[in-house]
Amino acid sequence: MPVSRKEAGKKFFLSRYLSLGHRLTGDESTRQAIRVNTLKTTDDEITETLTSLGVNLSKVPYLDHGYTVEASGFSLGASIEYLLGLFSLQESASQYAAQTLAPSAGDTVLDMCAAPGGKTTQIAAYMGNRGLMYAVDHDRDRLYALENNLERCGVENCLVYHGDATRLEHGTMFSKVLLDAPCSGNYVTDQSWFRRRSIEDVNRNAETQRELLSAAVKILEPGGVLLYATCSLEPEENELNIEWLLSNHAVALESIEGPGENGLTQVFDRRLDAEVSKCHRFWPDTTHTQGFFLAKVVRL
Amino acid sequence: MRLLRRFLNQVGSKLEAEAFMIDSKRFTLSQEMERHGFSRENLVYAGTYLGRNRRRFEPGSPLLQMLASEEKTRKVHLDREAAWLFVCGRDIFEENIRRVEGNLELGGHYLVMFEGRCIGYGRFETSAGIHVIRNLFDLGDFLRRED
Repeated sequence: MPVSRKEAGKKFFLSRYLSLGHRLTGDESTRQAIRVNTLKTTDDEITETLTSLGVNLSKVPYLDHGYTVEASGFSLGASIEYLLGLFSLQESASQYAAQTLAPSAGDTVLDMCAAPGGKTTQIAAYMGNRGLMYAVDHDRDRLYALENNLERCGVENCLVYHGDATRLEHGTMFSKVLLDAPCSGNYVTDQSWFRRRSIEDVNRNAETQRELLSAAVKILEPGGVLLYATCSLEPEENELNIEWLLSNHAVALESIEGPGENGLTQVFDRRLDAEVSKCHRFWPDTTHTQGFFLAKVVRL
Repeated sequence: MRLLRRFLNQVGSKLEAEAFMIDSKRFTLSQEMERHGFSRENLVYAGTYLGRNRRRFEPGSPLLQMLASEEKTRKVHLDREAAWLFVCGRDIFEENIRRVEGNLELGGHYLVMFEGRCIGYGRFETSAGIHVIRNLFDLGDFLRRED
């Protein structure tokens, strides 16, 4: 019997993950999570309101304002509180990126591939709507979703540009940059992932990501921090890109604490620079989130 | 600015916001943003969104929340059930208004409030012999825009 594209893809990628140290089944899942919008409310106020409406929430211990939705009798994205921007729907691992970047009111921040804006609104919340943030995306249609999110969440310190993040010419240097790079994604949040993805996609994305990484470093102030994030489990888009960055730019890595594991230093038959272990990985089998990768890069 | 000023007058606001325009959209910028200076090329959104000009001025959520905190603006307060119907685009029967700030007058415009926050605005009218707050804008628009 012929093997379907999905089955072949699943077998191929799961065997890769196994050789990277994780015996995944391909059926791992993540729970819906919310992030409290501290620009408009407090954790206590919104969790009390949602609990009174029958929503069962539990605090995610490693997140500043993140809660897992254990049960809800209605769609949270169609509630008055959501429309008022009191919270956002944002997966737990994804919330860890802006939290790790830790922007503050004194920063000038760039969100390079910003749409649809979940992390942009989170950055604004950390900045208390002060300082200045630029958000850029090349996809005009996705920018409408970003604009809606900024409006809904009451973000007031952001300039949004339609453009290519590899060709920024604003003359501004940034103290913090978030590069949540376009990537291959992962099967936890996409049921058709094994059918749709191939190693060619992964390699193509990795090349684009290196262009974005180079562009990001060039507009970072000396001592400034670049947070690189993907929701891919593939080392080509993660550790191998970061090793390439260390070899080609004057940068260093800072360690990232938290759930999950250090970055890989043995990728298939290749030994990587030990510095790459300062990166951070969320593996779906151990963190019960989507796959996620973070690297905190400092420009020297 | 004319449509924005008319809207502010209608709901009794004394707000004087400097509007920065991008196409039909109106924004206001903090002093910090003004001081920084920036390129307008390919700019699609900036600072605090006030709303946009359509046939009439369509206020943005940040402007509605600013007006909600103004004492002089005219407001009607709803309970959760009526508020939900309102954000679904429905008009509100007078009997479902829990509290009014200012006088309720036919033809008057009112911010529609739920638990201290503004969820839209409307005009007090008579429809088929019944007094209603006619829905002119509500926050359910966020969901309708994405359809």
